[in-house]
Amino acid sequence: MPGATGARAARTLRLRSPLLLALAVTLAFEAVGGTVIFFARLAYGVTPGEALHVIGGIVLTALYAAYQWRHWLRVRAMRPRLDHALGVLASASLLLTQVSGWMLGFTWWQARGAAADYAPLVSGLHNIGSMLVLTFVGAHVGAVLQRARWLDGDGSGA
Amino acid sequence: MHVPAFSIFSAISELVVTAGVIFVIRRNWQRRNFPLPVFLGVVLFEALVNVLYMSHRASQAASGTVATAAGMKLFFAIHGMISLLAFIVFVVLGVFAYQDQKRGIYFFRERPGLTWTFLMVWTISIVSGEAIFVVRYLL
Repeated sequence: MPGATGARAARTLRLRSPLLLALAVTLAFEAVGGTVIFFARLAYGVTPGEALHVIGGIVLTALYAAYQWRHWLRVRAMRPRLDHALGVLASASLLLTQVSGWMLGFTWWQARGAAADYAPLVSGLHNIGSMLVLTFVGAHVGAVLQRARWLDGDGSGA
Repeated sequence: MHVPAFSIFSAISELVVTAGVIFVIRRNWQRRNFPLPVFLGVVLFEALVNVLYMSHRASQAASGTVATAAGMKLFFAIHGMISLLAFIVFVVLGVFAYQDQKRGIYFFRERPGLTWTFLMVWTISIVSGEAIFVVRYLL
């Protein structure tokens, strides 16, 4: 079926696009760095790799904005499917995380060289946003890949 | 010691959320319809209320605005990590189970090893959370 084959090729191309791969790597880097900071700050009162996390966050914002714009143009017609709903939740969480991250980054920049006095509420929002990003991005990507596997397998798509 | 109302609410609601998690898995295990409204309700409630609560408390503990013993802080951090892991895994597995069922596949039933491992991690997360509540406010 040429239509199905074309759709599969387009999907494969999208999943291997340099922008998506760069976004995935940066997001993974930020997730690991953020988790290390969360754990170390809570358990030992230190924040290892804070500067790297801030720089990674700036790169992530740029990559995400570029990716989300392209993604939105393709999927803006809302479909009553779980993978779509999860995608919306993932973007909302990412937005919350980025906004709170920029606020924390500003506090960090102001306190350069000294211990930054982060507002607990903003810090809490950033933590919860990050947790939701990992949850909903994971679920969204999982649902999309699972659906793609079905579509590639028998074309029914369920 | 004064126990904040939100802490009591969170400690009790964690048990209700756990009942929801078990309900979702049990239905799937018994090859019955996936309870999507319960699943979404549990996920959104856990995300918006309990994760927010845990995260905010963790930030307070880290910032030093609330006096917390060093050992308790480490326990907080480990509990936070396990809870996050359990929550993410529940959402992802639930989504897989929902989608699989449309094709007549019962995800949890067909993966008993994964299901029991998840339930163990979830139990550790809940028990450690309740333990923090008891140690902090009741002992």
